[in-house]
Amino acid sequence: MTDEPRGLLVARGVRKSYADLLVLDGIDLQVSAGQTLALLGPSGCGKTTLLRVLAGLEPFDTGSVTVGGSPVEGPSPQRGIVAQAGTLFPWLTVSQNVGFGPRELGAADVRRTVADLLAVTGLTDFADALPRQLSGGMRQRASLAQVLANQPPLLLLDEPFGALDAQTRLRMHEWVRGLLAERPTNTILVTHDVDEALLLGDRLGLLSPRPSRVVSERELSFGADRGRHTLTDPAFVQLKASVLAEVLAA
Amino acid sequence: MTDAPLSQVAAVSGVVTTPASARSGRRRHRRLVGLVVPLLLLLGWQLSWELELRPRSILPSPHQVLTAADAFFFGTNNVTLSGIVPFKGAAWLHISASVERCLSTWVLAVGVGLVLGLGLGLSRWVADLLEPVTNALRAVPLFAWLPLAAVQFGIGERPARILIFIGALWPVVVATTDSVARVPRIHVETARMLGTPRSRLWRRVYLPSALPEIVTGLRLSLTLAWTCVIVGELLGVSRGIGAMMIAAREAGATEQIIVGVLLFATIGYAGDRLLRLMARPLVRWGDA
Repeated sequence: MTDEPRGLLVARGVRKSYADLLVLDGIDLQVSAGQTLALLGPSGCGKTTLLRVLAGLEPFDTGSVTVGGSPVEGPSPQRGIVAQAGTLFPWLTVSQNVGFGPRELGAADVRRTVADLLAVTGLTDFADALPRQLSGGMRQRASLAQVLANQPPLLLLDEPFGALDAQTRLRMHEWVRGLLAERPTNTILVTHDVDEALLLGDRLGLLSPRPSRVVSERELSFGADRGRHTLTDPAFVQLKASVLAEVLAA
Repeated sequence: MTDAPLSQVAAVSGVVTTPASARSGRRRHRRLVGLVVPLLLLLGWQLSWELELRPRSILPSPHQVLTAADAFFFGTNNVTLSGIVPFKGAAWLHISASVERCLSTWVLAVGVGLVLGLGLGLSRWVADLLEPVTNALRAVPLFAWLPLAAVQFGIGERPARILIFIGALWPVVVATTDSVARVPRIHVETARMLGTPRSRLWRRVYLPSALPEIVTGLRLSLTLAWTCVIVGELLGVSRGIGAMMIAAREAGATEQIIVGVLLFATIGYAGDRLLRLMARPLVRWGDA
């Protein structure tokens, strides 16, 4: 263990293959200081595999992944991942799902943690509902609350809003942006949606088609107050066109 | 962060409700439909008796069966069949004996079945070790165990319980093995990511996730245990509905045999309904 910041993620030369199929070809990236790194890549480029490797859910062939200086060797409450399919346990109510992690870790005052997160995610009235009784957007907010309940220093978002309709997705973007501003968490978001990457990221990394590499990185400086109005900002439109051209050329 | 988007999203709920009056009306209608076939059977039975399609010595009338049932439940306990098995006024004696024999053995089979099923479903090592044996054993018809049980344990209580145990065991084992093996990987990964150690996964993830299918296995197991009671009670026990029916056959009292059949059907049905009712809170999340 080194003196690196608690949630600092550093990946160096990560390669991963399934049998003869090379999926990740020397991934280098770093995220820290409450930043959101948005990784944009085409479908099938290995985004989910990359996030699963970073979460410790998949072994990798060569390279290194450390969080806070410690090597990633398996799943851990230090790295919360929210997937497109959601992470809720269907047999538990929303509040039981949110309290699952703190209870497993023997945290004090679980009830208060749950109440706080339900309030933040606007799900207080649905505390006793089962996941199947929620809309898609509500399920994703509950999944986020479930993961945030353990206060992980690193949050991994795997196309979490991919299954939502366009309007709900936009509302969720605004909401997550606000949430991450309120509770700065080192976050990596993988997505194939350019708007999503530009709205939520502080930095943008472009992934090549499979085998995946980080082909470019840039800072995103649209300010903290991003939302639907940002979509029509000339600077946003111009950057989006440029990023799209880069993605298509990759 | 503003409240507006949140309230707009929160306003959407997937719950679709049906008015309670419409639901209860439908339920009443379904119950009435369910009575049609039993009433037709009763009518056919009465007609067969009236027309003497079968000799009346082997096909009693519904009224004779009702009279026998009345004697079984409310008669004075002064008549025995074959010398040792009482009939009149002995209903509760036999029912309680059969139910106790079934339930206590079923609970044991459920416990063993759950442990065995979890082991087979969760551990490749256990599966490699035990699966060939368990697959071969569960292919043995229940009646094939009958002579072996009689030779090994003689007649009486023990072989009866062993047969019930064997009959009740396999549905639990199969349901548990299959359902825990099919638990979605994302649930296991989520639990690990949230801090659940491997040693607690079976309790926190596998068991609750597999519960709807396990409950189906438990229902099948209870039904089989109940049907095995009659087989078990062939093996020389003196108390139990099966024992009463065997004694009635020896005495040529067909109406008493039919009382036994009706009791098996009624108690078996009630037991299944009760189990479903008790399990409902645990598996309500699996309802479509």
